[in-house]
Amino acid sequence: MAAASSSDSDSGRAESNEASSKWLDAHYDPMANIHTFSSCLALADLHGDGEYKLVVGDLGPSGQHPRLKVLKGPTVLTESPLPALPAAAATFLMEQHEPRTPALALASGPCVYVYKNLRPYFKFSLPQLPPNPLEQDLWNQAKEDRIDPLTLKEMLEGIREKAEVPLSVQSLRFLQLELSEMEAFVSQHKSRSIKRQTVITTMTTLKKNLADEDAVSCLVLGTENKELLVLDPEAFTILAKMSLPSVPVFLEVSGQFDVEFRLAAACRNGNVYILRRDSKHPKYCIELSAQPVGLVRVHKVLVVGSTQESLHGFTHKGKKLWTVQMPAAILTMNLLEQRSRGLQAVMAGLANGEVRIYHDKALLNVIRTPDAVTSLCFGRYGREDNTLIITTRGGGLIIKILKRTAVFVEAGGVVGPPPAQAMKLSVPRKTRLYVDQTLREREAGTAMHRTFQTDLYLLRLQAARAYVRALESSLNPVSVMAREPLKLHAVAQKPSRRVGHTLQLLWPVPCLRQAPRSRAGHARSRLGTFLPRTGGALTAMVQGLGPTFKLTLHLQNTSAARPILGLLVCFLYNEVLYALPRAFFKVPLLVPGLIYPLETFVESLSDKGISDIIKVLVLREGQSAPLLSAHINMPVSEGLAAA
Amino acid sequence: MGLLDRLSGLLGLKKKEVHVLCLGLDNSGKTTIINKLKPSNAQSQDIVPTIGFSIEKFKSSSLSFTVFDMSGQGRYRNLWEHYYKEGQAIIFVIDSSDRLRMVVAKEELDTLLNHPDIKHRRIPILFFANKMDLRDAVTSVKVSQLLCLENIKDKPWHICASDAIKGEGLQEGVDWLQDQIQAVKT
Ligand SMILES: Nc1nc2c(ncn2[C@@H]2O[C@H](COP(=O)(O)OP(=O)(O)O)[C@@H](O)[C@H]2O)c(=O)[nH]1
Ligand SMILES: [Mg+2]
Repeated sequence: MAAASSSDSDSGRAESNEASSKWLDAHYDPMANIHTFSSCLALADLHGDGEYKLVVGDLGPSGQHPRLKVLKGPTVLTESPLPALPAAAATFLMEQHEPRTPALALASGPCVYVYKNLRPYFKFSLPQLPPNPLEQDLWNQAKEDRIDPLTLKEMLEGIREKAEVPLSVQSLRFLQLELSEMEAFVSQHKSRSIKRQTVITTMTTLKKNLADEDAVSCLVLGTENKELLVLDPEAFTILAKMSLPSVPVFLEVSGQFDVEFRLAAACRNGNVYILRRDSKHPKYCIELSAQPVGLVRVHKVLVVGSTQESLHGFTHKGKKLWTVQMPAAILTMNLLEQRSRGLQAVMAGLANGEVRIYHDKALLNVIRTPDAVTSLCFGRYGREDNTLIITTRGGGLIIKILKRTAVFVEAGGVVGPPPAQAMKLSVPRKTRLYVDQTLREREAGTAMHRTFQTDLYLLRLQAARAYVRALESSLNPVSVMAREPLKLHAVAQKPSRRVGHTLQLLWPVPCLRQAPRSRAGHARSRLGTFLPRTGGALTAMVQGLGPTFKLTLHLQNTSAARPILGLLVCFLYNEVLYALPRAFFKVPLLVPGLIYPLETFVESLSDKGISDIIKVLVLREGQSAPLLSAHINMPVSEGLAAA
Repeated sequence: MGLLDRLSGLLGLKKKEVHVLCLGLDNSGKTTIINKLKPSNAQSQDIVPTIGFSIEKFKSSSLSFTVFDMSGQGRYRNLWEHYYKEGQAIIFVIDSSDRLRMVVAKEELDTLLNHPDIKHRRIPILFFANKMDLRDAVTSVKVSQLLCLENIKDKPWHICASDAIKGEGLQEGVDWLQDQIQAVKT
């Protein structure tokens, strides 16, 4: 327990405050002597006693002494040597019947070693491959002593350089020999038939025919021979074989073998190939600009880590969704699944000792460790769900437990475009109607455009006619008659009683009937924004709370040079409701361009809270038809109490 | 408490009732301990993981205990706090052999001690450092160190090493609990 207690302070120091609030430091042993990577870690209830064990395919300190280790809690339970370096470890259920303890599979060299109850159970070997006929021929000649070792070496080297089919192990070992050793080697091996066998590069599991958590699973192998093999869970026969353009190094599978499945293989050529159940060859291809360092599927998103210190998200059809940059090289990746909260996220172990946890491209959490992180595994360990196992470059083992109350929230400060940009809009599905419409548009596009243009012209014509009619009957505050280019602007205002009280209610006149009664906003709008040069304009404004309002008219002669004389202003209003000191007055001479404010008070007589319109007419002496007119929508008097 | 009750209590006719909460992580041995404390004819033969909680009764020399045996599984642990108000004493069980989860036990204990229904009460807490028979088990002293029990200043507490299967250490704990409860009552 000493190790565990000392770790609390050790790793506690190396952690950010935020992270330490989410994780409990269960164990830290910097000298655990575990050297592995994520694909060689697996968690399972191997003994069926409810206590989950950790399986480690250990490479040994310098890749020298590979071992299979099984850990219980912080201690190594069993340890056994392996014949070759491990490539991957997986646990899976082989058969339906009880007891349902999972079997352990360890891929190493050309073989998969299967253990049940931690006892060797089965050894699967990759099938022999046909040797290169030229190579075969050379060895046949050697057998009959028709060729000397030196020529043999030259010929084999020639084959190695050019041939499609790689050389056998025997030939490769021969090529490594010194001149002196060749003779003996040839005489020793010449009578053996040459064998060619590839090695396993990666392994994963695929449910056979049920989606259940504890369903029987097949092993899926990737080989140096650029192939993918699916093995039967019980008989270990090859159920399916698929070929790839390059050597697979990471696999992600979803679905069930008998129903439908999707397989993503990240390959050494920097591409990720996506295959389906019925495809013997890749269906989609993701081209990375660098080598992949990890592949994790989060729900439907494939997350690939690349040597360019970045994580990329892709759809299962290979469409790129996002990229996030890491602060250091990614050494390993794995899935974090918090079942109780339905969360899936990607963990990336970095060379700077950080473990970064991402949900899509949002950073959820950063754990700092004292050394570069070489492998990660999250799941049920011992009796605790949500346990994180981290191994570091120096052989250290760190075990952290996610707190029961911990919730990952997407922290702010995510670099890149705002999250809204990445948000998917819920665009409704294309309806039948939409499709029909689109087809119709495609076929009858020209006719539709013509109809639209005709309607548009008709509309413009009608608008122009209405405008002309309005001008002719002077129903507007802008006069465009050549002789009287005028502009009127009216403001009504309640004289401010208190100094400093600057609340003004301004009613713009133009849209008199619909003017929104915005109290605070000074809703002032000028009339005649599309005035002709020579026009005249009228704007009216009402200010005040009532019962006395101030009405201001702004009258402008908009002609370039000619002054106007002899105009009259007349107010038409309901005399029961309003009283104006002067309902009719003369306008002084209007100099071109200047705006003349004409003020008058309006007394609201009604205490019923009703309002009416006041009409303003600008007339020319001796003419009955007004030049300009405006309807002023008077506000309701609110100053009754005060008055 | 009525005079009659007290009289019968003194005479040992009717024992005082106390409500005890039995808490701790799953698999620590709570159900096994309570089962062992029951009269031998009421003990069940095999213990299965508790779902939710179960209510058990047993008697000591002068008290009648009603124990809420809470499930320790992660998904049920948030049920605990609903019973804090009713509890007059707490039995907290630790699997001394589960070294990895000692931090989890500490975390749950700290959460318990900081709960408003517990924080300001002088509620006695009895710790069982259980499964001391197992090879991996650490001593009760080590358990109390790992859980930082010395920081509990405002509540009476006591730790006993126990082996619930053989029943060792249980009586010592229950005697302590009984003393504490009677000290509070009188
Ligand atoms: N060796 C040993 N096993 C124990 C002891 N106490 C309980 N167990 C075992 O631990 C397991 C869990 O016990 P249980 O009472 O269900 O734990 P609970 O979840 O806390 O109620 C059972 O298999 C018990 O037999 C003990 O003191 N020593
Ligand atoms: Mg129980």
